[in-house]
Amino acid sequence: MTNNPIVKGKLVCVALNDSDQFNAMQAEFGEAPYKSAPTQPVLYFKPHNTWSTEGAEVEWAVTEGQPAEEMVVGASLAVVFGKECCRVSPEEALDYVGGYTLVHDFSLPEKSYYRPDIKGKCLDGSAPIGGAVVPASDITDPQTLSVITKVNGEVVNEMPMSRTVRGVAELISTISYIMTLQPGEVIAVAFPGQRAAVAKGDKVTSEIAGVVSLNNQLGQ
Amino acid sequence: MKHARVLLNGSELDVTVEDNGQLKSKADGQLINEADVTWLSPIKEPGTIFALGLNYADHARELAFEPPKEPLVFLKGTNTLTGNKQNAYRPDNIDFQHYECELVAVIGKEGKNIAREDAMDYIAGYTVCNDFAIRDYLENYYRPNLRVKSRDSLLPIGPWLIDKDDVGDISDLKVTTHVNGELTQDGTTADIIFDVPFLVEYLSKIMTLKPGDMIATGTPEGLKDMQPGDTVVCEIEKIGALTTYIVSEEAFYGDKY
Repeated sequence: MTNNPIVKGKLVCVALNDSDQFNAMQAEFGEAPYKSAPTQPVLYFKPHNTWSTEGAEVEWAVTEGQPAEEMVVGASLAVVFGKECCRVSPEEALDYVGGYTLVHDFSLPEKSYYRPDIKGKCLDGSAPIGGAVVPASDITDPQTLSVITKVNGEVVNEMPMSRTVRGVAELISTISYIMTLQPGEVIAVAFPGQRAAVAKGDKVTSEIAGVVSLNNQLGQ
Repeated sequence: MKHARVLLNGSELDVTVEDNGQLKSKADGQLINEADVTWLSPIKEPGTIFALGLNYADHARELAFEPPKEPLVFLKGTNTLTGNKQNAYRPDNIDFQHYECELVAVIGKEGKNIAREDAMDYIAGYTVCNDFAIRDYLENYYRPNLRVKSRDSLLPIGPWLIDKDDVGDISDLKVTTHVNGELTQDGTTADIIFDVPFLVEYLSKIMTLKPGDMIATGTPEGLKDMQPGDTVVCEIEKIGALTTYIVSEEAFYGDKY
């Protein structure tokens, strides 16, 4: 596991923010254990043991003493706060962003959203962040960005911000009414609903064209 | 020994708490009166905050849940932390906010795949937290969701971290809460379903535990709604008593409201 110089304090991830997935799950949302669709952003933490970097190898997960049968990856645009952000409106939210970067969320497959997924999401080194932080002043409108993920050179996912349930500004505003965000804290705003399956040794590259890329490789 | 962190004239100080309640600066041995300080969270560099849901047999019954077969663990942000005798807020327009008095085990040594028999070697000591919840905000997605459990100020902790060896056996400690002087929660850690050694083994199989990580072990029955103006005291035998003042959202945030 590698310390990451970009993120400080906390890394908040937003689940179920891909409108394709959200719409496809409507019937499931109505059933147990969910019983109704989420009315708020669905959030989880990647704690500090998960933080890793550009170029780092990601350990293959071990569950119950055995190598995990499956792992998946999702990539997300992430905002890095530049100043303290407490109870801000969507209109002013982007003023608090210091820069933009990428987060890889390596995990066990997302089988249920009912309980916090500690076993699936808290694996050591499973959240590389980077490679660089692009200054917010270089990005006019984050809603125009799109994240492409390749595994061993083949495109497995594309997540345009135009496909989100909630955009960057709305998420920052909503989350800032739950928790005050400090400089260096990160929100990963939109993972593709279909996480990509990965195998041992796979090379995973995600990119916002012309802006930033993040490269990692699965361990053996 | 009891280790605490306080603000004195705007500066953070590491202190020990003497038997007579006086504070003693670790830097220069200066004795300080409690009345002159603001208590901070006793954990200087807080790591991951783990909390347990439904981990007391009596509380699971109270909420009409089957006791879980596996621990229900959730994570909390460090924005939730505040010290002893500080304000915590009640959000506007809600019906039910309750306290949860909990024993917290603080990790003192990094480890992974720690066996139950060795687990206590990785514990530095204990403190008390009040893991407030706002039941109105519960949704069945990553429940208990961050909106319920990761709000500013809603994890008072302290007053101090007490060394593990000063406490000894933690398997039958009284856990009580008083609201405005009235006893509202009266349990014992003997009702804990998944104990500290189990949780250290369980979590460290999943991930590396590090110094400053905390495990809040859940709460017994006795939930009660809180209102601005209430004073709540969470106490665990041999560890300490943690006082929190409930204020309105507007009073808490002031200019940012």
